[in-house]
Amino acid sequence: MVEAPLLQLHGLEKVWPNGTAALRGVDLTVHTGSVHGLLGANGAGKSTLIKVLAGAIPASGGDITWRGQTVRWTNPRAARAGGIATIYQHIPLVPTLSVLENMLLEQAGGWRIDRAARDRAATVARSLGDPFDLDAIVGDLPIGTRQMVAVAQGLMSDPALLIMDEPTASLAGDEREQVYRTIRRLAGEGRAVLFVSHFLDEIVALTDEVTVLRDGRAVLGARTADLDEAAIAAAIAGRAVTVLERVERQRSTGEALLDVRNLTSPGKLAPTSFSATGGEIVGIAGMLGSGRSELLHAIFGADPAARGSVLVGGEQIGREPAAAVAAGVALVPEDRAAQGFISGMTIAENIALPHDGWLIAPRREHDAAIAAIDDLAIKAPDADALVGELSGGNAQKVVIAKWLTPRTRVLLLDEPTAGIDIGARTDILRLIRRLADQGLAVLLISSEFEELLAVTDRILVLRDGAIVAEVDPATIDEAGLIQLASGTQSRTEIAA
Amino acid sequence: MTRSIDWRRTFGLREAGVYYALLILLALLAAIAHSRGLPNYLSPQNLGNIVYQASLVGIMGVAMTVMLITGAFDLSVASVAALAAAVLVGLAPSIGFPLAAGAAIITAIAVGIFNGAVVQFVGINAFIVTLGTLTAVRGLVLVLTDGRSLMVERPDVLQQMLAFESTRVPIFWAALLFAATLLALAAWKRRPLDALAGIVVGALALLAGRDFTVAAPVVYLALFTLAVWAVLRFTVIGRRIYAVGGNAEAARLSGINVHAYKLGAFVLSSAAAGFAGVLFGCRLGAINPTALQGTELTVIAAAILGGTSLLGGAGSVLKTVIGALLLFTLTNGFNVLDLGASYQGLIEGAVVIAAAAIYTVGGDRRRARRATVDTAPQAPAVAEAG
Repeated sequence: MVEAPLLQLHGLEKVWPNGTAALRGVDLTVHTGSVHGLLGANGAGKSTLIKVLAGAIPASGGDITWRGQTVRWTNPRAARAGGIATIYQHIPLVPTLSVLENMLLEQAGGWRIDRAARDRAATVARSLGDPFDLDAIVGDLPIGTRQMVAVAQGLMSDPALLIMDEPTASLAGDEREQVYRTIRRLAGEGRAVLFVSHFLDEIVALTDEVTVLRDGRAVLGARTADLDEAAIAAAIAGRAVTVLERVERQRSTGEALLDVRNLTSPGKLAPTSFSATGGEIVGIAGMLGSGRSELLHAIFGADPAARGSVLVGGEQIGREPAAAVAAGVALVPEDRAAQGFISGMTIAENIALPHDGWLIAPRREHDAAIAAIDDLAIKAPDADALVGELSGGNAQKVVIAKWLTPRTRVLLLDEPTAGIDIGARTDILRLIRRLADQGLAVLLISSEFEELLAVTDRILVLRDGAIVAEVDPATIDEAGLIQLASGTQSRTEIAA
Repeated sequence: MTRSIDWRRTFGLREAGVYYALLILLALLAAIAHSRGLPNYLSPQNLGNIVYQASLVGIMGVAMTVMLITGAFDLSVASVAALAAAVLVGLAPSIGFPLAAGAAIITAIAVGIFNGAVVQFVGINAFIVTLGTLTAVRGLVLVLTDGRSLMVERPDVLQQMLAFESTRVPIFWAALLFAATLLALAAWKRRPLDALAGIVVGALALLAGRDFTVAAPVVYLALFTLAVWAVLRFTVIGRRIYAVGGNAEAARLSGINVHAYKLGAFVLSSAAAGFAGVLFGCRLGAINPTALQGTELTVIAAAILGGTSLLGGAGSVLKTVIGALLLFTLTNGFNVLDLGASYQGLIEGAVVIAAAAIYTVGGDRRRARRATVDTAPQAPAVAEAG
């Protein structure tokens, strides 16, 4: 080894006051100028580890060696000063301030903005390839650009180590490319990057080394070149996972259960027509901003500006969510926490939300929730657990369970597997197949095109609010789908 | 299966603090009264009097709690109540009491619809809209009364109005019946908390005696609270009110008509304010244009004392009523015991802040969230029996 590692963790432990052990002795080494991938299922301890490194929470045991010295940061400011910048998953920017002011948030001094600070910010922006205007208001920027602002903010303190928690989770196609390029550039400048992601292909393509956490322990630490996706996935899951394989399903050829006619929404969706039969899984492929979610919201009647007609079982449904629900249409929205569940309510209450009637039947709702917990393998202490306290995958299962009533005939799923670990993701995809087999028509949006290829019967490709292609998943591969959706002939490869 | 209760939570400061505060205050005032040789502070007459004084704020507070649960805010209630009182007093001599009372409440509801429509369909923050109607409606009262006190001068109408407000209602048997119902329910559903409530109500009734009567507004408050509590606790409408405040977007995407619920809350709030205004007008048979000024803050303070969250999604009407009783016990105590009226505002304000601090700080995050949810209608905690 030429030089001492930049960061070395030895037996790092974190026990919460209530006795839960989040980290049970993590060893991890990050070298200068390298990209280090950190993986793990939800609840494996990634977020806790990041918070400890960022100085947001103290470790309960073990050593952190930073640049050869044992350190113990007591607050985030100390870690920043030491040279570690952390970019959290939910980008904590102030939407009402300009890019420049967001970048200068942590700066001390008297003046709100001075010339020197502005020059420094401009230098950082230039080093990132000037992805944004310094005076733009952050709230007006697309989410991918906001991610770049967060990176720029982190770089203002000239860190030696940049920690990025799932920077690509909510990004599509070209926006991810931008993040990849940035990470490579940072590594090229001699900075280390600790990169957390759910996406194995990113990890394999981008990182030099990989650490996999499971149940608070580092179960795998190796050079990426010596590994393949299957080995990493196996380490995450703790068991050999079969990669999703396409199963040819019995094609249903019946009448259209869902019939969308000339559905349009000004500025979001061009007039769109298609239909789906019961038992069919129709995938919707598109990049972020292609109108994917807008299409589902328009079908569900959740977009007041939408025009056109939606027929379920041959009958036109009203243009509001209540009417759509009454007609048997169900929507699992993209943003679970903001749109899907009510965090302060229990599993039983969330599942009972769409139910009609006058009186609450606690016993029946409780039994229904217990049944859903068993049926969907929701990991929860009991039906009275608050949904806000469940992990992402389990909360998503609750949101889906909400709609598993005899009334539901059309299921609209908007990124049901986003931010969910592999185990829960496979569960959800299996569930989707099972529901289609039971006769539901399913529309499935996913940024993971391999999921679409694996579970759908056909795929509609959306670009700029219009369906530009309809493809048979058996005859196309992921690259082909990406090409169709991004509208470019040659897509920049992840592997540089 | 047996139902188990988290006793520590149920009787913790956060869940039951407002009850303790009321009991402690009553004990304190009783001790002071005793030490000064004054008549028994805890006499049924005085307690009934406190509830009577708190009834208008209690009625508005119950509706305000529903409002806060849906995540909105209504500052205009006191002005609306004054408007209703002015309409009642102004119209009663010409069209009679029942019609005038109806007109007053309809006027109030119209203001509520206006508030709700502007908030929901124009999209202005409820605080701003109702701050506007607070001022405008008060102005309207001044216009209607021409800035002077109005009085009902027809004796027969005045008689009807006083009868509506001041009739003494014997509640001994009703209270006993209610206590018995609670106890039966507790035995049937195995809910010890209901049993406790039943025992308290029954004991109070027995102590007060068969001849004990209360003024009509106390009965109106009790019936209204009971009705709203039952709707929140047992009906799907109640759950949806909590859902709308807890996460409006998730509620909307679950097929709940969020607009209707939020508009409904404004209408309920204004209707309750209208009814309170009618009671106020009947109390004196007269209306002063500045009547009830500032009462909206007492109403909101009562809801906050009861643990209602200003962020929506949590709250209990029962505890709001207790909160109102706490505030009026303070007022009553200061007056009856002559403790120096100057200190009253200072202490009331301190109590409100202390209560809010307890609700915010009391218990860790998890327990805190459970506790706020516990006031939502939900199945009691159920544990598997071995």
